[in-house]
Amino acid sequence: MRFLLAAGLVLALPVAALAQGTPNPNRLDGSGVPAATPVAHPAPVSVGETDLDFISSYYQQNGDHGAVEGGIGTQHLTDVAPTIVLNVPLDSVARLTANVGFDYYASASTDRIDQVISSPSASDVRYHIDLGYARTLKDKRTILSIGGGASKEYDYQSFNLAGSWTHGSRDGNRELSIGGQVYLDRVTLILPVELRTAATGSGNQAHGSGFDNRQSYNLNIVYSQVLTKRLQMAVSTELVSQRGLLSTPFHRVYFYDSDRALGTPGTLGTAKTELLPRLRNKFPVGLRLNYYATDLVQIRGFYRFYNDNFGIRAHTFELEAPVKVSPFFTLYPFYRYHTQTASTYFAPWREHSIYDEYYTSDYDLSAFTAQKLGLGFRYAPLYGLGRFKTPFGGRVAKFKSIDLRYGHYWQTTGLTANIVSVDFGFVMP
Amino acid sequence: MRLSAFFRPVALGLLLAGSALLPGCVSVAAYQKAYLNDEDMKLATKKVETSEVNFESYREGAGGANGGKVGGGCGCN
Repeated sequence: MRFLLAAGLVLALPVAALAQGTPNPNRLDGSGVPAATPVAHPAPVSVGETDLDFISSYYQQNGDHGAVEGGIGTQHLTDVAPTIVLNVPLDSVARLTANVGFDYYASASTDRIDQVISSPSASDVRYHIDLGYARTLKDKRTILSIGGGASKEYDYQSFNLAGSWTHGSRDGNRELSIGGQVYLDRVTLILPVELRTAATGSGNQAHGSGFDNRQSYNLNIVYSQVLTKRLQMAVSTELVSQRGLLSTPFHRVYFYDSDRALGTPGTLGTAKTELLPRLRNKFPVGLRLNYYATDLVQIRGFYRFYNDNFGIRAHTFELEAPVKVSPFFTLYPFYRYHTQTASTYFAPWREHSIYDEYYTSDYDLSAFTAQKLGLGFRYAPLYGLGRFKTPFGGRVAKFKSIDLRYGHYWQTTGLTANIVSVDFGFVMP
Repeated sequence: MRLSAFFRPVALGLLLAGSALLPGCVSVAAYQKAYLNDEDMKLATKKVETSEVNFESYREGAGGANGGKVGGGCGCN
Protein backbone atom coordinates (compact mmCIF):
# COMPACT_ATOMS: atom_id res chain seq x y z
CA MET A 1 0.00 0.00 0.00
CA ARG A 2 2.76 2.44 1.00
CA PHE A 3 4.76 1.42 -2.06
CA LEU A 4 1.77 2.08 -4.33
CA LEU A 5 1.28 5.50 -2.80
CA ALA A 6 4.93 6.39 -3.17
CA ALA A 7 4.89 5.17 -6.76
CA GLY A 8 1.78 7.24 -7.41
CA LEU A 9 3.45 10.34 -6.10
CA VAL A 10 6.54 9.78 -8.23
CA LEU A 11 4.44 9.17 -11.35
CA ALA A 12 2.37 12.26 -10.68
CA LEU A 13 5.30 14.63 -10.88
CA PRO A 14 6.09 14.27 -14.62
CA VAL A 15 2.39 14.77 -15.42
CA ALA A 16 2.52 17.96 -13.46
CA ALA A 17 5.24 19.30 -15.70
CA LEU A 18 2.53 19.88 -18.34
CA ALA A 19 0.74 22.29 -16.08
CA GLN A 20 0.02 25.90 -16.86
CA GLY A 21 -1.09 27.02 -13.47
CA THR A 22 -2.97 30.13 -12.55
CA PRO A 23 -4.31 30.94 -9.12
CA ASN A 24 -7.70 29.49 -8.33
CA PRO A 25 -10.39 31.72 -6.89
CA ASN A 26 -10.62 31.66 -3.12
CA ARG A 27 -13.26 29.70 -1.29
CA LEU A 28 -15.01 30.88 1.84
CA ASP A 29 -14.06 29.14 5.03
CA GLY A 30 -17.40 27.93 6.31
CA SER A 31 -17.11 25.88 9.46
CA GLY A 32 -20.08 25.90 11.78
CA VAL A 33 -18.28 27.59 14.63
CA PRO A 34 -16.21 30.73 14.07
CA ALA A 35 -13.03 29.86 12.23
CA ALA A 36 -10.14 29.14 14.56
CA THR A 37 -7.56 29.94 11.93
CA PRO A 38 -8.23 33.15 10.03
CA VAL A 39 -7.05 34.19 6.62
CA ALA A 40 -4.92 37.31 6.46
CA HIS A 41 -6.61 38.56 3.31
CA PRO A 42 -9.99 36.94 2.87
CA ALA A 43 -11.58 36.97 -0.54
CA PRO A 44 -14.52 39.31 -0.81
CA VAL A 45 -17.81 37.70 0.07
CA SER A 46 -20.24 37.53 -2.80
CA VAL A 47 -23.32 38.98 -1.13
CA GLY A 48 -26.36 36.89 -1.95
CA GLU A 49 -24.45 33.71 -2.72
CA THR A 50 -24.61 30.79 -0.36
CA ASP A 51 -21.76 28.30 -0.14
CA LEU A 52 -22.72 24.72 0.55
CA ASP A 53 -20.30 21.85 1.06
CA PHE A 54 -21.20 18.18 1.28
CA ILE A 55 -18.25 16.58 3.01
CA SER A 56 -17.98 12.90 3.68
CA SER A 57 -15.28 10.54 4.82
CA TYR A 58 -14.72 6.84 5.28
CA TYR A 59 -12.18 5.82 7.90
CA GLN A 60 -10.97 2.34 8.77
CA GLN A 61 -8.32 1.28 11.26
CA ASN A 62 -6.77 -1.97 12.43
CA GLY A 63 -4.50 -2.78 15.34
CA ASP A 64 -4.14 -5.09 18.29
CA HIS A 65 -3.82 -2.78 21.27
CA GLY A 66 -7.47 -2.05 22.06
CA ALA A 67 -7.90 -0.22 25.34
CA VAL A 68 -11.21 -1.94 26.11
CA GLU A 69 -9.35 -5.22 26.64
CA GLY A 70 -6.49 -3.64 28.53
CA GLY A 71 -4.14 -2.94 25.61
CA ILE A 72 -4.22 -6.35 23.90
CA GLY A 73 -7.51 -6.45 21.99
CA THR A 74 -8.56 -5.58 18.48
CA GLN A 75 -8.72 -1.94 17.40
CA HIS A 76 -10.71 -2.59 14.25
CA LEU A 77 -12.98 0.36 13.61
CA THR A 78 -14.84 1.92 10.71
CA ASP A 79 -16.35 5.37 10.68
CA VAL A 80 -18.50 7.08 8.06
CA ALA A 81 -18.93 10.81 8.65
CA PRO A 82 -21.12 12.84 6.27
CA THR A 83 -21.32 16.56 7.05
CA ILE A 84 -23.01 19.58 5.53
CA VAL A 85 -21.27 22.94 5.86
CA LEU A 86 -23.35 25.99 5.02
CA ASN A 87 -22.16 29.57 4.72
CA VAL A 88 -24.91 32.14 4.16
CA PRO A 89 -24.08 35.83 3.71
CA LEU A 90 -26.93 37.84 5.20
CA ASP A 91 -25.67 41.15 3.85
CA SER A 92 -22.32 42.76 3.12
CA VAL A 93 -21.17 42.51 6.76
CA ALA A 94 -22.89 39.53 8.32
CA ARG A 95 -23.00 35.83 7.64
CA LEU A 96 -24.41 32.69 9.16
CA THR A 97 -22.61 29.38 9.21
CA ALA A 98 -23.85 25.92 10.00
CA ASN A 99 -22.11 22.59 10.32
CA VAL A 100 -24.42 19.59 10.63
CA GLY A 101 -23.67 15.91 10.36
CA PHE A 102 -23.19 12.57 11.99
CA ASP A 103 -20.60 9.86 12.51
CA TYR A 104 -21.68 6.28 12.11
CA TYR A 105 -19.01 4.04 13.53
CA ALA A 106 -18.64 0.31 14.11
CA SER A 107 -16.03 -0.68 16.64
CA ALA A 108 -14.87 -4.22 17.35
CA SER A 109 -13.13 -2.90 20.45
CA THR A 110 -16.15 -1.43 22.19
CA ASP A 111 -17.97 -4.65 21.36
CA ARG A 112 -15.78 -6.28 24.03
CA ILE A 113 -17.23 -4.15 26.83
CA ASP A 114 -19.75 -6.85 27.55
CA GLN A 115 -17.94 -9.79 25.91
CA VAL A 116 -20.95 -10.43 23.68
CA ILE A 117 -19.87 -10.13 20.08
CA SER A 118 -22.18 -8.18 17.76
CA SER A 119 -24.02 -6.62 20.67
CA PRO A 120 -25.43 -3.06 20.52
CA SER A 121 -22.09 -1.67 21.74
CA ALA A 122 -20.56 -2.68 18.41
CA SER A 123 -21.79 0.48 16.68
CA ASP A 124 -23.05 3.92 17.47
CA VAL A 125 -24.05 7.15 15.80
CA ARG A 126 -22.87 10.57 16.88
CA TYR A 127 -24.99 13.51 15.72
CA HIS A 128 -23.60 17.02 15.81
CA ILE A 129 -24.69 20.54 14.92
CA ASP A 130 -22.80 23.83 15.16
CA LEU A 131 -24.15 27.25 14.28
CA GLY A 132 -22.26 30.51 14.01
CA TYR A 133 -22.84 34.18 13.29
CA ALA A 134 -20.08 36.54 12.18
CA ARG A 135 -20.23 40.29 11.70
CA THR A 136 -17.70 42.70 10.23
CA LEU A 137 -17.52 45.96 12.16
CA LYS A 138 -17.58 49.46 10.64
CA ASP A 139 -13.78 49.67 10.44
CA LYS A 140 -14.04 46.72 7.99
CA ARG A 141 -10.99 45.17 9.62
CA THR A 142 -12.57 43.62 12.67
CA ILE A 143 -14.78 40.55 12.70
CA LEU A 144 -16.72 39.40 15.71
CA SER A 145 -18.31 36.01 15.78
CA ILE A 146 -20.30 33.87 18.14
CA GLY A 147 -21.49 30.32 17.89
CA GLY A 148 -22.76 27.30 19.68
CA GLY A 149 -23.42 23.67 19.11
CA ALA A 150 -24.24 20.28 20.47
CA SER A 151 -23.46 16.65 19.87
CA LYS A 152 -25.09 13.45 21.03
CA GLU A 153 -24.13 9.83 21.04
CA TYR A 154 -25.19 6.84 23.11
CA ASP A 155 -23.05 7.57 26.16
CA TYR A 156 -21.98 11.15 25.54
CA GLN A 157 -23.73 14.52 25.26
CA SER A 158 -21.95 17.78 24.63
CA PHE A 159 -22.86 21.47 24.36
CA ASN A 160 -20.49 24.19 23.34
CA LEU A 161 -20.32 27.96 23.10
CA ALA A 162 -17.75 29.81 21.03
CA GLY A 163 -16.72 33.37 20.31
CA SER A 164 -13.88 35.05 18.46
CA TRP A 165 -12.40 38.44 17.65
CA THR A 166 -10.33 38.94 14.51
CA HIS A 167 -8.53 42.12 13.54
CA GLY A 168 -6.56 42.71 10.35
CA SER A 169 -3.95 45.36 9.70
CA ARG A 170 -4.70 48.33 7.41
CA ASP A 171 -2.60 46.90 4.59
CA GLY A 172 -4.06 43.40 5.08
CA ASN A 173 -0.66 41.85 5.69
CA ARG A 174 -1.15 40.92 9.35
CA GLU A 175 -4.03 39.52 11.29
CA LEU A 176 -4.62 38.57 14.89
CA SER A 177 -7.44 36.31 15.97
CA ILE A 178 -8.41 35.41 19.50
CA GLY A 179 -11.13 32.89 20.13
CA GLY A 180 -12.52 30.85 22.95
CA GLN A 181 -14.71 27.80 23.29
CA VAL A 182 -16.37 26.12 26.23
CA TYR A 183 -17.55 22.52 26.04
CA LEU A 184 -19.90 21.16 28.67
CA ASP A 185 -20.10 17.39 28.40
CA ARG A 186 -22.09 14.71 30.19
CA VAL A 187 -20.84 11.15 30.16
CA THR A 188 -22.88 8.03 30.86
CA LEU A 189 -20.66 5.66 32.84
CA ILE A 190 -20.51 2.29 31.14
CA LEU A 191 -18.37 -0.25 32.95
CA PRO A 192 -16.96 -3.51 31.59
CA VAL A 193 -19.50 -6.25 32.23
CA GLU A 194 -17.45 -8.08 34.87
CA LEU A 195 -16.97 -4.91 36.91
CA ARG A 196 -20.66 -4.16 37.26
CA THR A 197 -22.12 -4.68 40.68
CA ALA A 198 -25.60 -4.74 42.13
CA ALA A 199 -25.18 -1.03 42.87
CA THR A 200 -24.22 -0.13 39.31
CA GLY A 201 -26.56 -2.61 37.71
CA SER A 202 -25.33 -5.90 36.33
CA GLY A 203 -25.82 -7.96 33.21
CA ASN A 204 -25.33 -7.16 29.57
CA GLN A 205 -28.18 -4.67 29.32
CA ALA A 206 -27.27 -2.67 32.44
CA HIS A 207 -24.98 -0.27 30.65
CA GLY A 208 -25.68 2.87 32.65
CA SER A 209 -23.80 3.14 35.91
CA GLY A 210 -24.47 6.79 36.59
CA PHE A 211 -23.17 9.97 35.02
CA ASP A 212 -20.15 12.22 35.22
CA ASN A 213 -19.20 15.55 33.65
CA ARG A 214 -16.34 16.99 31.67
CA GLN A 215 -15.64 20.64 30.87
CA SER A 216 -13.17 21.84 28.27
CA TYR A 217 -12.00 25.44 28.02
CA ASN A 218 -10.10 26.42 24.89
CA LEU A 219 -8.27 29.60 24.04
CA ASN A 220 -7.10 29.97 20.43
CA ILE A 221 -4.68 32.69 19.40
CA VAL A 222 -3.58 32.93 15.79
CA TYR A 223 -1.26 35.54 14.33
CA SER A 224 -0.79 35.50 10.58
CA GLN A 225 1.70 37.53 8.60
CA VAL A 226 2.46 38.06 4.93
CA LEU A 227 6.23 37.78 4.56
CA THR A 228 6.71 38.30 0.83
CA LYS A 229 4.57 38.23 -2.32
CA ARG A 230 4.91 34.44 -2.27
CA LEU A 231 5.33 33.56 1.38
CA GLN A 232 3.06 33.82 4.39
CA MET A 233 2.95 32.29 7.82
CA ALA A 234 0.70 31.82 10.84
CA VAL A 235 1.68 31.11 14.42
CA SER A 236 -1.05 29.61 16.52
CA THR A 237 -1.62 28.29 19.97
CA GLU A 238 -4.61 26.48 21.36
CA LEU A 239 -4.50 26.33 25.13
CA VAL A 240 -6.87 23.69 26.47
CA SER A 241 -7.87 23.01 30.04
CA GLN A 242 -10.07 19.98 30.69
CA ARG A 243 -11.70 19.16 33.97
CA GLY A 244 -13.87 16.30 35.15
CA LEU A 245 -13.93 12.74 33.94
CA LEU A 246 -10.99 12.31 31.56
CA SER A 247 -10.74 8.54 31.71
CA THR A 248 -12.97 6.17 29.77
CA PRO A 249 -14.97 3.97 32.17
CA PHE A 250 -15.05 0.91 29.89
CA HIS A 251 -11.28 0.80 29.35
CA ARG A 252 -9.81 -2.08 31.32
CA VAL A 253 -6.38 -2.10 32.96
CA TYR A 254 -4.70 -5.38 33.96
CA PHE A 255 -2.04 -5.37 36.67
CA TYR A 256 0.94 -7.67 37.11
CA ASP A 257 0.35 -7.85 40.86
CA SER A 258 -3.44 -7.94 41.11
CA ASP A 259 -5.00 -9.97 43.90
CA ARG A 260 -4.69 -13.71 43.16
CA ALA A 261 -7.90 -14.27 45.07
CA LEU A 262 -9.66 -12.73 42.08
CA GLY A 263 -7.93 -15.09 39.66
CA THR A 264 -4.73 -15.30 37.67
CA PRO A 265 -3.54 -11.75 36.88
CA GLY A 266 -4.41 -10.84 33.30
CA THR A 267 -7.57 -12.93 33.12
CA LEU A 268 -11.11 -11.58 32.93
CA GLY A 269 -12.18 -10.36 36.34
CA THR A 270 -8.76 -9.14 37.45
CA ALA A 271 -8.93 -5.78 35.67
CA LYS A 272 -9.93 -2.38 36.99
CA THR A 273 -11.41 0.45 35.00
CA GLU A 274 -8.95 3.06 33.67
CA LEU A 275 -8.23 5.93 36.04
CA LEU A 276 -6.74 9.28 35.02
CA PRO A 277 -6.45 12.66 36.81
CA ARG A 278 -9.46 14.96 36.57
CA LEU A 279 -7.45 17.90 35.23
CA ARG A 280 -5.54 18.08 31.98
CA ASN A 281 -3.85 21.14 30.51
CA LYS A 282 -2.61 21.07 26.93
CA PHE A 283 -0.15 23.52 25.38
CA PRO A 284 0.21 23.14 21.61
CA VAL A 285 2.00 25.72 19.48
CA GLY A 286 1.85 25.54 15.70
CA LEU A 287 3.67 27.23 12.85
CA ARG A 288 2.19 27.19 9.37
CA LEU A 289 4.27 28.35 6.42
CA ASN A 290 2.93 28.49 2.85
CA TYR A 291 5.17 29.24 -0.11
CA TYR A 292 4.06 29.85 -3.69
CA ALA A 293 7.19 28.37 -5.23
CA THR A 294 6.08 28.50 -8.85
CA ASP A 295 2.85 28.60 -10.82
CA LEU A 296 3.22 24.84 -10.93
CA VAL A 297 4.00 23.94 -7.33
CA GLN A 298 3.21 25.44 -3.94
CA ILE A 299 4.55 24.25 -0.61
CA ARG A 300 2.39 24.05 2.50
CA GLY A 301 4.26 23.32 5.71
CA PHE A 302 3.09 22.86 9.29
CA TYR A 303 4.98 22.17 12.50
CA ARG A 304 3.50 21.71 15.97
CA PHE A 305 5.07 21.32 19.36
CA TYR A 306 2.79 19.86 22.02
CA ASN A 307 3.14 19.52 25.76
CA ASP A 308 0.68 18.59 28.51
CA ASN A 309 0.54 17.77 32.20
CA PHE A 310 -0.07 14.06 31.45
CA GLY A 311 3.59 13.92 30.48
CA ILE A 312 3.08 13.79 26.70
CA ARG A 313 5.46 15.80 24.58
CA ALA A 314 5.02 15.66 20.81
CA HIS A 315 6.33 17.04 17.54
CA THR A 316 4.33 17.01 14.33
CA PHE A 317 5.49 17.94 10.82
CA GLU A 318 3.26 18.16 7.77
CA LEU A 319 4.20 18.87 4.22
CA GLU A 320 1.89 19.25 1.24
CA ALA A 321 2.92 20.11 -2.29
CA PRO A 322 -0.06 21.10 -4.47
CA VAL A 323 0.75 20.68 -8.15
CA LYS A 324 -1.41 22.59 -10.63
CA VAL A 325 -1.81 20.12 -13.45
CA SER A 326 -4.11 22.59 -15.21
CA PRO A 327 -5.61 25.93 -14.19
CA PHE A 328 -8.52 24.08 -12.63
CA PHE A 329 -7.05 20.74 -11.63
CA THR A 330 -4.72 20.41 -8.68
CA LEU A 331 -3.01 17.27 -7.48
CA TYR A 332 -1.61 17.40 -3.97
CA PRO A 333 0.58 14.77 -2.38
CA PHE A 334 1.00 15.12 1.37
CA TYR A 335 3.10 13.62 4.13
CA ARG A 336 2.83 13.86 7.91
CA TYR A 337 5.23 12.78 10.63
CA HIS A 338 4.29 12.66 14.31
CA THR A 339 6.25 11.52 17.33
CA GLN A 340 5.21 11.58 20.96
CA THR A 341 6.40 10.43 24.36
CA ALA A 342 4.20 8.30 26.59
CA SER A 343 1.95 9.67 29.25
CA THR A 344 3.21 9.22 32.81
CA TYR A 345 0.07 7.17 33.46
CA PHE A 346 0.48 4.71 30.58
CA ALA A 347 1.77 1.16 30.80
CA PRO A 348 1.05 -1.83 28.55
CA TRP A 349 -1.01 -4.89 29.52
CA ARG A 350 -0.02 -6.23 32.97
CA GLU A 351 2.77 -3.71 33.48
CA HIS A 352 0.90 -1.48 35.91
CA SER A 353 1.06 -2.09 39.61
CA ILE A 354 -2.16 -2.26 41.58
CA TYR A 355 -0.58 0.42 43.80
CA ASP A 356 -0.27 3.00 40.98
CA GLU A 357 -2.28 6.14 41.66
CA TYR A 358 -3.41 6.47 38.02
CA TYR A 359 -3.33 3.88 35.28
CA THR A 360 -4.26 3.39 31.64
CA SER A 361 -3.32 0.95 28.88
CA ASP A 362 -4.75 3.12 26.13
CA TYR A 363 -2.15 3.17 23.36
CA ASP A 364 -3.32 6.62 22.22
CA LEU A 365 -1.33 7.78 25.26
CA SER A 366 1.72 5.60 24.60
CA ALA A 367 5.06 6.53 23.03
CA PHE A 368 5.06 6.06 19.27
CA THR A 369 5.89 7.52 15.92
CA ALA A 370 3.19 7.90 13.28
CA GLN A 371 3.37 8.67 9.59
CA LYS A 372 0.77 9.50 6.99
CA LEU A 373 1.16 9.54 3.27
CA GLY A 374 -1.52 10.45 0.82
CA LEU A 375 -2.71 12.04 -2.37
CA GLY A 376 -5.59 14.35 -3.15
CA PHE A 377 -6.99 16.24 -6.08
CA ARG A 378 -9.24 19.22 -6.49
CA TYR A 379 -11.16 20.04 -9.63
CA ALA A 380 -12.76 23.46 -9.73
CA PRO A 381 -13.54 24.69 -13.28
CA LEU A 382 -14.18 28.40 -13.66
CA TYR A 383 -17.86 27.93 -14.55
CA GLY A 384 -18.37 24.92 -12.32
CA LEU A 385 -19.00 21.26 -13.02
CA GLY A 386 -22.70 21.69 -13.59
CA ARG A 387 -25.86 23.63 -12.80
CA PHE A 388 -29.23 22.48 -11.57
CA LYS A 389 -32.44 23.84 -10.11
CA THR A 390 -32.83 23.58 -6.37
CA PRO A 391 -35.90 21.66 -5.11
CA PHE A 392 -37.19 24.68 -3.17
CA GLY A 393 -37.60 28.04 -4.84
CA GLY A 394 -36.39 26.84 -8.21
CA ARG A 395 -33.12 28.73 -7.96
CA VAL A 396 -30.15 27.64 -10.05
CA ALA A 397 -27.29 26.22 -8.04
CA LYS A 398 -23.78 25.64 -9.31
CA PHE A 399 -21.78 22.50 -8.60
CA LYS A 400 -18.56 24.40 -8.05
CA SER A 401 -15.80 21.98 -7.12
CA ILE A 402 -14.80 18.53 -6.01
CA ASP A 403 -11.99 17.81 -3.58
CA LEU A 404 -11.04 14.18 -2.99
CA ARG A 405 -8.18 12.81 -0.91
CA TYR A 406 -6.86 9.52 0.36
CA GLY A 407 -4.45 9.02 3.23
CA HIS A 408 -2.70 5.97 4.62
CA TYR A 409 -1.62 6.22 8.26
CA TRP A 410 0.54 3.91 10.32
CA GLN A 411 2.01 3.92 13.83
CA THR A 412 4.94 2.09 15.36
CA THR A 413 2.39 0.51 17.74
CA GLY A 414 1.16 -1.51 14.76
CA LEU A 415 -1.99 0.52 14.18
CA THR A 416 -2.76 1.21 10.54
CA ALA A 417 -5.55 3.31 9.09
CA ASN A 418 -6.95 4.41 5.75
CA ILE A 419 -9.15 7.39 5.16
CA VAL A 420 -10.94 8.69 2.08
CA SER A 421 -12.57 12.13 2.22
CA VAL A 422 -14.51 14.07 -0.36
CA ASP A 423 -15.86 17.61 -0.46
CA PHE A 424 -18.50 18.54 -3.04
CA GLY A 425 -18.73 22.33 -3.18
CA PHE A 426 -21.89 24.16 -4.37
CA VAL A 427 -22.85 27.79 -4.75
CA MET A 428 -26.42 29.03 -4.66
CA PRO A 429 -27.58 32.53 -5.57
CA MET B 1 14.26 10.62 25.28
CA ARG B 2 16.78 10.60 22.47
CA LEU B 3 14.10 11.82 20.06
CA SER B 4 13.29 14.65 22.44
CA ALA B 5 16.97 15.59 22.54
CA PHE B 6 16.98 15.56 18.76
CA PHE B 7 13.89 17.70 18.29
CA ARG B 8 14.76 20.36 20.86
CA PRO B 9 17.40 21.95 18.60
CA VAL B 10 15.04 21.54 15.62
CA ALA B 11 12.33 23.50 17.42
CA LEU B 12 14.87 26.11 18.45
CA GLY B 13 16.09 26.33 14.86
CA LEU B 14 12.54 26.87 13.59
CA LEU B 15 12.00 29.64 16.10
CA LEU B 16 15.27 31.32 15.10
CA ALA B 17 14.39 30.96 11.42
CA GLY B 18 11.01 32.52 12.11
CA SER B 19 12.63 35.38 13.98
CA ALA B 20 15.04 35.92 11.12
CA LEU B 21 12.21 35.99 8.57
CA LEU B 22 9.96 38.44 10.38
CA PRO B 23 12.14 41.56 10.09
CA GLY B 24 12.65 40.69 6.41
CA CYS B 25 8.95 40.72 5.55
CA VAL B 26 7.82 43.38 3.13
CA SER B 27 4.58 45.29 2.81
CA VAL B 28 2.67 43.62 0.00
CA ALA B 29 -0.04 45.69 -1.67
CA ALA B 30 -3.45 44.21 -2.42
CA TYR B 31 -2.80 44.13 -6.17
CA GLN B 32 0.38 42.10 -5.52
CA LYS B 33 -1.44 39.30 -3.73
CA ALA B 34 -2.38 37.11 -6.69
CA TYR B 35 -0.12 34.34 -5.42
CA LEU B 36 -1.11 34.75 -1.78
CA ASN B 37 -4.82 34.62 -2.64
CA ASP B 38 -4.41 31.25 -4.28
CA GLU B 39 -6.61 28.50 -2.85
CA ASP B 40 -3.58 26.46 -1.83
CA MET B 41 -2.04 29.37 0.08
CA LYS B 42 -4.76 29.50 2.71
CA LEU B 43 -3.32 29.44 6.21
CA ALA B 44 -5.72 26.81 7.47
CA THR B 45 -6.57 23.18 7.07
CA LYS B 46 -8.92 22.45 4.20
CA LYS B 47 -12.52 21.55 4.84
CA VAL B 48 -11.98 18.12 3.30
CA GLU B 49 -9.26 17.47 5.91
CA THR B 50 -11.61 17.84 8.88
CA SER B 51 -12.16 14.13 9.46
CA GLU B 52 -8.44 13.39 9.22
CA VAL B 53 -7.58 16.04 11.78
CA ASN B 54 -10.29 14.64 14.06
CA PHE B 55 -9.13 11.03 13.91
CA GLU B 56 -5.54 12.11 14.49
CA SER B 57 -6.64 13.95 17.63
CA TYR B 58 -8.27 10.70 18.84
CA ARG B 59 -5.45 8.33 17.94
CA GLU B 60 -2.69 10.55 19.26
CA GLY B 61 -2.54 11.87 22.79
CA ALA B 62 -1.37 15.17 21.35
CA GLY B 63 -3.54 17.56 19.36
CA GLY B 64 -4.58 21.15 18.80
CA ALA B 65 -3.24 24.35 17.21
CA ASN B 66 -4.45 23.22 13.80
CA GLY B 67 -8.18 23.79 14.03
CA GLY B 68 -8.91 20.22 15.03
CA LYS B 69 -11.34 18.79 17.49
CA VAL B 70 -10.58 19.50 21.14
CA GLY B 71 -13.81 18.59 22.89
CA GLY B 72 -17.39 17.60 22.47
CA GLY B 73 -17.62 13.87 22.63
CA CYS B 74 -16.00 10.97 20.96
CA GLY B 75 -17.57 9.56 17.82
CA CYS B 76 -14.47 7.48 17.20
CA ASN B 77 -13.57 5.15 20.05
